Amino acid sequence: MSSARSIAIAARLAAMFAIAALLVLSLLGYALDRELATVLRRQQIDQLDTKFQDIDYVLERLRGPEQWERIHAKLDALTPPDRSTQYWILSDDPQIRYGNALAEIVSFSQGASNVGELRIGDQPEPMLIRSAYLPANARHAALRFIVGIDSASYARTRRDFHSVLLASGSGGVLLFALIGYLITHWGLVPLKRLSREAHELSPSMLSQRLVVTHLPAELSDLAQSFNGALDRLEAAYEQLETFNADVTHELRTPLTNLIGQTQVALSRERSATELVEVLQSNLEDLERLRAMINDMLFLARANLGERPQQLLRTSLAAEVEKAVEFLDFLLEEASVSVRVQGDAKAPIGSSLFQRAVTNLLHNAIRHSPAGSEIVVEVAAGESQARVSVSNPGPAIPPEHLGRLFDRFYRVDTARTNSGESHGLGLAIVKAVAAMHAGSVFAASNGGITTVGFSVAIGA
Amino acid sequence: MKVLVVEDELKIADYLYKGLTEQGCSVDLAHDGLDARHLALEIDYDVIVLDQMLPGLDGLAVLQSLRAVKDTPVIMLTARDRIEDRVKGLRAGADDYLVKPFSFMELLARLQALTRRGRKHEATQIRVGDLVVDLLARKAFRDGSRIDLTAKEFALLSVLARHQGQILSKTAIAEMVWEVSFDTSANVVEVAIKRLRAKIDAPFHSGLLHTVRGMGYVLEERSAR
Repeated sequence: MSSARSIAIAARLAAMFAIAALLVLSLLGYALDRELATVLRRQQIDQLDTKFQDIDYVLERLRGPEQWERIHAKLDALTPPDRSTQYWILSDDPQIRYGNALAEIVSFSQGASNVGELRIGDQPEPMLIRSAYLPANARHAALRFIVGIDSASYARTRRDFHSVLLASGSGGVLLFALIGYLITHWGLVPLKRLSREAHELSPSMLSQRLVVTHLPAELSDLAQSFNGALDRLEAAYEQLETFNADVTHELRTPLTNLIGQTQVALSRERSATELVEVLQSNLEDLERLRAMINDMLFLARANLGERPQQLLRTSLAAEVEKAVEFLDFLLEEASVSVRVQGDAKAPIGSSLFQRAVTNLLHNAIRHSPAGSEIVVEVAAGESQARVSVSNPGPAIPPEHLGRLFDRFYRVDTARTNSGESHGLGLAIVKAVAAMHAGSVFAASNGGITTVGFSVAIGA
Repeated sequence: MKVLVVEDELKIADYLYKGLTEQGCSVDLAHDGLDARHLALEIDYDVIVLDQMLPGLDGLAVLQSLRAVKDTPVIMLTARDRIEDRVKGLRAGADDYLVKPFSFMELLARLQALTRRGRKHEATQIRVGDLVVDLLARKAFRDGSRIDLTAKEFALLSVLARHQGQILSKTAIAEMVWEVSFDTSANVVEVAIKRLRAKIDAPFHSGLLHTVRGMGYVLEERSAR
């Protein structure tokens, strides 16, 4: 398919080359033909003039009527056998008359002196005629002297020129088309190579990329953007893979508990109290699974581009205060205080926003030493309002910071199966930020961890 | 309370039947849309639990034909949690919806909320054993002595007292006390219950605030074993 398209481009360009060549060669041919016609006509006239002057000279030297015979003989000699040059002398004096005085000649030769074209008899080409009137003088009676030269040879020259022009012209056009085709073909070689490479990309080798070096600038851009798209696809694919692996892992632990506990319970007679305990323990695991599935559904919906149902322009600090109030008992229990500073207004889904802030605060509470203070800062930027939660806590290595918001990502890889957190809290913050056209950020400096998100302020 | 449960998934239908019957409801079951429509139109239920995806006639169609005739409260069950589905259901006249997987406690709480809506006025003073909760004065007494509670602690106690004898899930408590309708891993309710228990139970000889493991909490007087 791709090769067909590049051939189509080559053919199209070849046709354009041919049309351009046809245009240029036609103009050139026309100009040359005009020039040739002018030159030929001038030559013809020169030739006519020369012949005319020869005779004129002879007539000037005429000494007496007895010489007319000599002149006639001379004219006979001057007339070539193919009669391409002819002479006529018209006069009332029959002794002077020369040539077959046809009616056309007579009617043409009026006035003092003129030049013109005249078709005589059935000759294919007209003759170029020049005539001159000599009034009577001492040596001869009044006479009209006429020279005609045949233009057939000139016409032939032009015809020949035309056929040469036509032949070389069409040859030239064809040659241009061919060269155009070859040039385009050659020019498209990198494109074909690129297309072949793209064909060979396969989902099993996700890290494959198009070779960008040695590509012409135009294609290099294309290939780079294509590679960019591949980068993003690979990242998304890898994320999906990790997600699947994580989900499987996260589900496996509670399922193992459930199956194992139930099997042990059923393997022998149990008292009702014991069975109730097993059921209660099962219920706890099942509730955890339900919460995880609901959160994953939430993330999936956010990922699919779901937006808050209704956005209300609200004071973000007030919303933060509500989340703080909700977490009040936890704060007291952990002996941690919260200070909220700054404010901004933004259109938000209140419940979503509170959920994100609650997750951030809960995270901060769990990582803050007793007696410390968590600072929530709300700041309005140009297009985004930022909510950042800072708490004193152990430094987070930079390689973890960027991945804090990944699903199931935990800084300490040895999973603390506390049951309290299933590792989706910050992923939900990220999803909420995305639902409000915002983003997330994390920093760890000088013993202070800052994690936050932004939401679009909107128009 | 007369309840119609419409659910084609037999396991779910069975446990809903059992659970609701044990809660004192009289329960009818329908496993497809046509039966559901017939029953819903024939009999006056207090509330209908309606699955959205049904064989024969889907939940929305059942709801529409019901709404053409009467206003029986309907709670929809749906496996799909997209806003469009919710909006469609609510627009068709559903009073509430629950997304699968849902907890039975949650369903129970919603059903009670739906059927209570019409109820007139509540008592201003609630008695649970020797505990007295004065909702107007916002004070609590046990065994005649005043219990010092913070505003949130009192709010929690009054929610539990209003539902005395009823198991309330953590989600339901969070929603009623803090108006928090989202899932969170923060164990706020546990901590709050612990604090409340320290004030209303610990100083006295018997406990009134009980944990039902995996389900939630209940405020009731239990006879000493």
